[in-house]
Parts: sequence; structure tokens; C-alpha cells
Amino acid sequence: MEDLLAYLHFVVLPQFIDALIIGVALALVALGLTMIFGLLDVINLAHGELYMLGGYAAFTLLGWGAGYWSALVLVPVLVGLVGWTLEELGIRPLLPRADRAIVTLLLTFGVSLIFRDVAQVIWGTETRSVAAPLTGITNFAEVFVPTYRIFVFSAGLLAIAVTWWLVYRTQIGAVLRATAVDPSMVASFGIPIRLVYGFTFLYGCGLAGLAGVLLSPIYAVFPTMGHDFLVMAFAVVIVGGMGSIIGAVVAAILLAQVQGLASLWIPPVWAETLVYGVMLLVLVIRPAGLFNRLGEA
Amino acid sequence: MIRITDLSKSFGALRAVNHLSFEAMPNCITSIIGPNGAGKSTAFNLIAGTLRPDSGRVELEGHDVTGEPAYRLAKLGVARSFQITNLFFGLSVLDNIRLNCQSLESRNRFLSRLDRLSAPVRRATEILEEFGLDESADELVGNLSHGDQRRVEIAICMALSPRVLMLDEPTQGMSPAETAEIDTLIKSLAGRVTVLLIEHDIDLVMNISDHVIVMHQGRKLFEGPPDEVRASPAVREAYLGAEHAAA
Amino acid sequence: MLQAHQQVQATDIQRRQSGTVAARLLRASRNSSSNSRLLRQIALVSLLLAAIFPLFGGSFFTRLAIEALLFGCIALSVDILLGYAGLLSLGQAAYFGLAAYVAALMYLHVTQSFWLVLLTASASVGVFSFLLGAVAIRAKGVYFALITFSVAEILSKITHNTRAIGGSDGLIGIPVPSIPLLPGLEIEFANNYVFYYLVLGTVCLLYLGTRRMLNTAFGSVLRAIRDNSDRVPYLGYNPFWYKLLAYVMAAQIAAFGGLIYPLLRGFVAPHLFGFEVSTKAVVMSLVGGVGTLIGPLMGSVIITFLESVVGSYTERHLILLGIIFIVFVVFLPDGLCGLAQRTFGAGRKVKP
Repeated sequence: MEDLLAYLHFVVLPQFIDALIIGVALALVALGLTMIFGLLDVINLAHGELYMLGGYAAFTLLGWGAGYWSALVLVPVLVGLVGWTLEELGIRPLLPRADRAIVTLLLTFGVSLIFRDVAQVIWGTETRSVAAPLTGITNFAEVFVPTYRIFVFSAGLLAIAVTWWLVYRTQIGAVLRATAVDPSMVASFGIPIRLVYGFTFLYGCGLAGLAGVLLSPIYAVFPTMGHDFLVMAFAVVIVGGMGSIIGAVVAAILLAQVQGLASLWIPPVWAETLVYGVMLLVLVIRPAGLFNRLGEA
Repeated sequence: MIRITDLSKSFGALRAVNHLSFEAMPNCITSIIGPNGAGKSTAFNLIAGTLRPDSGRVELEGHDVTGEPAYRLAKLGVARSFQITNLFFGLSVLDNIRLNCQSLESRNRFLSRLDRLSAPVRRATEILEEFGLDESADELVGNLSHGDQRRVEIAICMALSPRVLMLDEPTQGMSPAETAEIDTLIKSLAGRVTVLLIEHDIDLVMNISDHVIVMHQGRKLFEGPPDEVRASPAVREAYLGAEHAAA
Repeated sequence: MLQAHQQVQATDIQRRQSGTVAARLLRASRNSSSNSRLLRQIALVSLLLAAIFPLFGGSFFTRLAIEALLFGCIALSVDILLGYAGLLSLGQAAYFGLAAYVAALMYLHVTQSFWLVLLTASASVGVFSFLLGAVAIRAKGVYFALITFSVAEILSKITHNTRAIGGSDGLIGIPVPSIPLLPGLEIEFANNYVFYYLVLGTVCLLYLGTRRMLNTAFGSVLRAIRDNSDRVPYLGYNPFWYKLLAYVMAAQIAAFGGLIYPLLRGFVAPHLFGFEVSTKAVVMSLVGGVGTLIGPLMGSVIITFLESVVGSYTERHLILLGIIFIVFVVFLPDGLCGLAQRTFGAGRKVKP
């Protein structure tokens, strides 16, 4: 019995905490993805690259002498602006087309390729590292967690809370939710839909950029980091329900735990494959995911 | 001959169709009318296989076809048109009709070359001529006028050589002249085919129907020949409101 | 007198009607998108160009052309689904990879018999595509794309993780067999030119076979499904079996490419199942022209050659690829064949 408790305390709990932190960061990326799909019906395959951009932007700003904290504020704004530009230039012209789902998917795929190579041109192919602003270890219930990670967890949670507040408690959020249900009706109220769409991209990509900054000291920055994270983010969005805010958060935490805890018992690469297996299962049994789309009952 | 017994369908708290029962006599024109939201289209969807009923039975010529999927009903000779034009807009008029004729062919011809399939094309051409769509045979349906598209909607149904023809507001959006043409067309079909019709155009309905069923809030309110329906105070009340019934 | 006149009228009408019907039949067949006259001409010209290519291409480019044809098979399979059944599959590479790995493993460990390997690969792909198709086709819209995408990713990951079948490095050193065609007649793959013409000939047959298969009642139902899948059941067709047949057929075509690939390059690796191969196939289809069947093959040649040429100057060929994707997606959604059709006035579109 004691052995079991010890096992749970010193093996499982640390992994649980670790996975919780990753889950929160994953939620940030998945949130942006799901909001963009929920409102515009667009599958943004370049989303992973925006996360990557966040990491590289942090690296560059720090290299110019800016403090980490200023980067934390600036980078999401910058990445958000890149996302907004993408929406204005690339996505919006395609929205009226009948085959918009396929076409925007391919467009964002093309953009992701370009971003990836441009990143390699600007920053080279080696892995870059970003110094963590907080060093040291915190003792949390006899489990030693790097202090910075606790910060990442709190920051991520705060961002999620802000997003929830924005979507469900503000006027802007009401407009967002209404647009997800019936854009033409919202437009007939005199609300410029193009701004709504632009804002969605701005905010969603900003969240991805934030995740990029937050995770860069933990995982370092390299050109394919976006791609790997994107597939996971998609698994989250699918399991959680495409277009659902709650779903993205719940599924992110859940799937991160599945991967984290599973890798205690099976090789980590298989734990990742297991997550994709879960995604496939959900797609087959309940393709709409666990939660309903934004705006739906 | 279609018989509906005790058909019900709810969407959450909304009882769209509530224990509906009626019979559509063979080779007669039976119309379903009722104010908006009466459940007419839902009833249609339940009969045509678009939706599965929560309870009740649908019988076609004595066979139980409750809950059968749409393609089975089509093979059994039930053809239905749509209130909102639902054609193959990217295909030609000929192709739209030919596809229906083709489905009547035996399975063995499924891999035959298109230019060897003379029977479906010949039949499609006949139907085109009957409906006066001959000229536009090669036009893409998406490029036709609204009235012509509505005619294609009906033509497609006839291409199935149906035993039962279900028309959902066929004259929707049509001019009086076009409505009159459809009027004549449907009347000419009577005697060949059992027709079940949903319509908002009361004059059309009274003009051509043999039997009328009035629905209200998911239930059958009244049924009978057109004259009785016209005279019924209950029907007037449902359509116009209580004050008018007294008048 | 009147009777005779009526009789003449009757036969006149009959002749006019049968004339009309015959004309309509011909038009019905010719108007099917892959069979239009312009596309047949394009296909013929492409074939002629392909036939004389090795004469001035040289060894390297001939092998590259073979690779283009093999990837073209994936693009063709995407087109069958997207251009005919209206299904976007982001996982056709799964069948390419599956066939490639089955072939590689068999050559390395089991047999040198080409025909046995062909049979095994074809059968495994057949079973797999039937099962996956039956599940994926029930899903609506974008979920079909997501399911196909995730299955391909899962296969890629499994291959990547399993040391026994090569892990992340894949399998190398695959022996190149010779094919016994007839008693006494063996075909050596070692000769580039023989290899090339063999592959060209087979791809040609696959193309013609597909075109013929889709120029049938079956094909016209698929096109109806693409145009308005909701209405199709009311015509008396169960769309499920049509889509499934198209899916299994498409998988076999992608599998052919995978079957030959290890013979060409001597190795197989997990990225063959990957998302990028699948998506490149979609773009090849788009560049050539979705629904034209010859378009994807052309698209594959263009993109494979472009990547190789650009790749020799810089590692940054993804930028070019991305730009091409975007240009075609935004400005030329009909692809090159669509451009040709508009230039020579052969196409028709629904006016907005």
C-alpha cells in the first residue's frame, strides 16, 4: 500500500503536473484553431507556424536586449497582427467561394510551407534557445517543479480565463457567438463582418503566439516545432468539438494527460500515437466531438 | 395508395407531427394544407424517408415502409420534389432527368459506357418534351430561370415512373401564368399516378384536389373534399384567427 | 392521301427523334468532364511528349520522370475522389506507403517474385481501403478529410516508431527484381529506359481504365454525388456503395505508385505515408485540373520536376511550392486544363 502511494506521489504526480502544464499551453493553440473554425469555417493549417513564429519572435526580441516580460506582451500582439494580415489578404477573398473549405485549407497549407522556409532563411536551421526568466525549483507537495513551469501554467490559465470572459461576458463575445451562428444576420445589424473575422484571426493567432513565447524556454525553438504541435492541436480540436471553446480546453487537458500518463508505461512515441488513436475513435463514434460548436445549444 | 397511421415526430420539445393519420387514395390528388409551422413538410419528410418517425406507420400499397431510407422509397416508386429547389445545378437538364431514368435500369448496366445507354436518354428526352424543356436540354440547370427550375423539379420526379408523386410547394415563387401551367400539368397526371401535394396557393389546391387534409400544429384538423374544407369554420379559424371564424 | 402524309410525318418524327436521341447520347458521353475532346487531345499530346522524353532527358531526369509518374498515381487517386465523388481525401499517401512497405518487406524477407508482391500489396490495400472507406464515408463533409488525414498520420507514426520495420530510417537496400512477363521473356528493371517505358505504359493503362470506368452510369452517379449528394438518394441510388467503390478503386491506383517506388529508389521511409505527400498530391491535382484525370498526372510531372530543379539550387524549395499552391488556389482553381478549356472555349460553368 505504501509502495502504491509512493508510486502515485513520486512517479505519477510529477507526470500529471507536467502534462497539466503542457495541456494548458496546448489549449492556447487549440483555442485559436477552434475559434477560427467555429466562426469562419476555415481550417487554418498555418496555425502551427504562427506558434513557431511566437517562439522565434521571442528569441529575436530577447536577442535585441528586450526583457522576457516585454516579449511576453509584445509577441502575441505581433503574431496576432500577422494572423490578421493573413486573414485580410488570403482568407477573406476566398470566403465567398463555394468550395471555401477546401480552398482555404490548401491556401493555409501553402502559407505554412512558406512560413517554415522563411523561418529557416531568417533564423537558420539550428535549434535556438530562449532563456527562462524564472529560475529555480519550487517544492510543490514534495514534487519539484521548475518555477518557470508554474508560471507558464498560471499564465496559460489566465489567458484561458480571459478568453472565456471575452467570449461569454462581453459585447464582443456576443457578436462573435452570433456570427458563428448566422453571419448574414449579424451583418444586417450594421456590424462589419470583416472586422469580426479579422478580430477572430487576430485573437486566435495571438493566443498561438503566446503559447510560442511561453513554451520557448522549455522546448527551444526550431523550424518544425509548429508542425508537430499542430497535429496535436488538431487532435484536441477534433476531440473537443470543432468550434467549441470549452471543448478545446477540456480536450487539451485530457489529451495531454493521456499522453503524459501513458508514457509512464509505454514508450513516449507510442503514447503520442495513442492520442491520435483516440482522435480517430472520436471521429468515428462521435465526429462532432465532445462539446457543441460555439453558438449551438 | 399511401396510408399514414398515428405518425409522430418531435424535435426536442417541439411536437412537429402529432399522431397524424390519413389515407391518400390511388390515382387521386390529395393535398395537405395548413398555416406555417403546421408540420406539413415534416410529414412529407417522414413519408419520403428523409426523417425517421418517432412512432406510427407508413404504408405503401399495404407494405410497411416506415423508416425506410429515401433511396429505398425511390426504388419502390415514391418520387418527391423539394420546396427549395434542390437540383444538380452543375449538370445539364438532360443529365438531371437521365440520372433518374438510369436508376430504373438493371444493375448490370452500371458499368456500361454512357453513350451506349440509349434507353434512359430516350426516356429523358420524352419527358423533356412533355414538360416543354426540350430547348434547354443541354443548359446547366443553374442557369435556368426559377420557373424552369421548378418545372425540372417535377420532371425529375416523373422520370422515376413513380407510383406516388409527392410535390412540396411546386409552384413556390412562380408567376400566376406559370402556376396555371403547373395546375394543368398536375391535373393531367391524375389518373396515372397518386399525387400528394403540399401547397400554400389555396386556389390551386381547391381547383385540382380530390381530397384535402388540413393540418394545424402537427395534428390533422380536418379532411374532406375541397368544398367541405372551404366551408369548415374550424379551418377558417386555424388560418385566419378566431375573430374571422365568427363572421 | 391523308394517311400516307401522316405516315410520312410519323417516320419523319421518328427519324428526327432518333437523330435527336443519338445526338444527345453522344453529347452526354462527350460532355463528361474527362472525356471531352479537348482533354483527349491534351492527353494524347502529353503521351507523345512523355514517349520521346527519355531521348533527350538523360538518365537522371528519366528516373525523375518515373518518380513523377508514381506520385502522379497518388494525384490521380485524389482526383477520382475529389473530382468525381466530391470527397477530399487527405490520406491517399497511406495507400502509397502501405503498398511501398509491403513490397519492400516482401522483397527483403520473403520473395523476389514481382507478381506475388503485386498480389499481396494489392490485396492488403484492398482490404484496408474497404474497411477504412466503410467507416470514413459515413462521416460528413470535412470529417471525411480529417479521418483520412489522421489514419495516414497514424500509419506514419507507427512505421516511425517500429524498429522492426526500419523505424525513422526506413528500409534500405531493396533488391531490384526482374519481371517474368512470359516464359522466356524477362524484363530487367536495371535499365532506366525499360523501367521508364514500362511505368509509362502501365500508368497510361491506369489512366485509360479510370477514364473508361468513370465514363459510365457509375461515373455519372458519382458526379451527381459531387454536385448535390443530398438529392441523390431520392433518385433511387444509395450513395454509400458508389462512394465506397470509388474509394477502393482510388486506393488501388495510389497503391500502384507505392508498389513500384521501392524498385526505383531502393528504399522506403515513414514520410511516404505523411501528410505532405498526401497534400502535395491534392495540389498536383489542383494544378493540373480537378476532375480531368490527365490534369493530376501533368501536375505531378510539373511539381516533381520543379521541386527537383529548384532543390538543386537551394534548400528553400518549400517557398516556391507554397507560392505555386497559393497562386493556383486563388487564381486558377480550374488548373491548367481549366485554363486550356477557357482559352479554347470548351468548358461551361454555371453563371453566378
